[in-house]
Amino acid sequence: MSETLSALAEIAARFATLSLVAIGGINAIMPEIHRVVVDVQHWMTSAEFAELFALAQLAPGPNAMVVALIGWKVAGIAGALVATLATCGPSSIACYVAFQWSDRLRHSKLRTVVQRALSPLAIGLILATGYTLARGADRSPGALALTVIAAAALAWTRVNPVWVLIVAAVAGAAGVA
Amino acid sequence: MPDDLLAAPLARVSRAQLFTSFLKMGLLGFGGVLPWARRVLVDERRWLDDREFAELIGLCQVLPGPNVVNLSVIIGARAQGPIGSLIAVTGILFVPVGVMLLIAMFYASVAHEPLARNAIAGASAAAAGLIIGTGMRLLLQTRPPLRGLVIGGAAFIAVGVLQWPLLSVIVVLIVVAVALEGHAARTEGKR
Repeated sequence: MSETLSALAEIAARFATLSLVAIGGINAIMPEIHRVVVDVQHWMTSAEFAELFALAQLAPGPNAMVVALIGWKVAGIAGALVATLATCGPSSIACYVAFQWSDRLRHSKLRTVVQRALSPLAIGLILATGYTLARGADRSPGALALTVIAAAALAWTRVNPVWVLIVAAVAGAAGVA
Repeated sequence: MPDDLLAAPLARVSRAQLFTSFLKMGLLGFGGVLPWARRVLVDERRWLDDREFAELIGLCQVLPGPNVVNLSVIIGARAQGPIGSLIAVTGILFVPVGVMLLIAMFYASVAHEPLARNAIAGASAAAAGLIIGTGMRLLLQTRPPLRGLVIGGAAFIAVGVLQWPLLSVIVVLIVVAVALEGHAARTEGKR
């Protein structure tokens, strides 16, 4: 019991600190989480970590949910809750405060300049995320074709993304990917 | 107004609408929530246009924390204050976390089935494509000027292709992007 409590305290302290430096999103801190969970605390092997990561990617919801799975693996449901709150709480409060502050600057030229500057940067980072995921997922010409078709469908049509995923899963089960 | 971060429609959004919209993004967001966030917020609810969405995502990426959680905090706050932020985050994060834990418990029993593995391989490939398609759509809709294409292209190559550390890349590119945009604003102002 006390071991579980100390694991929960460790998760809370480590993940809450990482929350405030996760600039660019959860993927920015994944290498550091891996180091703590696998190398420092020996809570799981690197292979188990990779399995949890893949599972979180495939479940519906934000990719940040991987921290809940890590917490779950270490300390059950309480671990999942503590890991999620620690990872998202501090950054959400910082975000709320930053937004209130930026709202007061609504008519400042600086804010307009910053917003316009950030928009293309964000698009570049979204494409980089897609490219990184595709590099992991596209291990065959069939899988690459599914990625290209899905990208084109989303960019140029209004087709529902769920259909794209269902068709791709059926194609995968049929041996395409 | 181009300098208004979030337009008027958000002020009329109820707590129930807020919850169901973010729940939908969370529960349909296989392989990432971003494509669904754009679809629901821009196409379906029309709370934002493409340009506002891209700017907001840019702000969320610069702030620490998961991007779509930050997005929920900001949109929830604009619609219903701090309670709105909590409602949006609950819909997009906490409910999906519960679902994911159920899936994780079930996972062990199907993980060894080749059919399940192959289906998942197909879905992962398409999920990557959906993220790329979201980026392409935003690019086509917002049509950034040349300086924006240079910054976005540099971000893509540094983070995606070269896999450089995200933090340093973002810090450098923000400084360059704001300097370029500031210069352009001053030049336009003089004319």
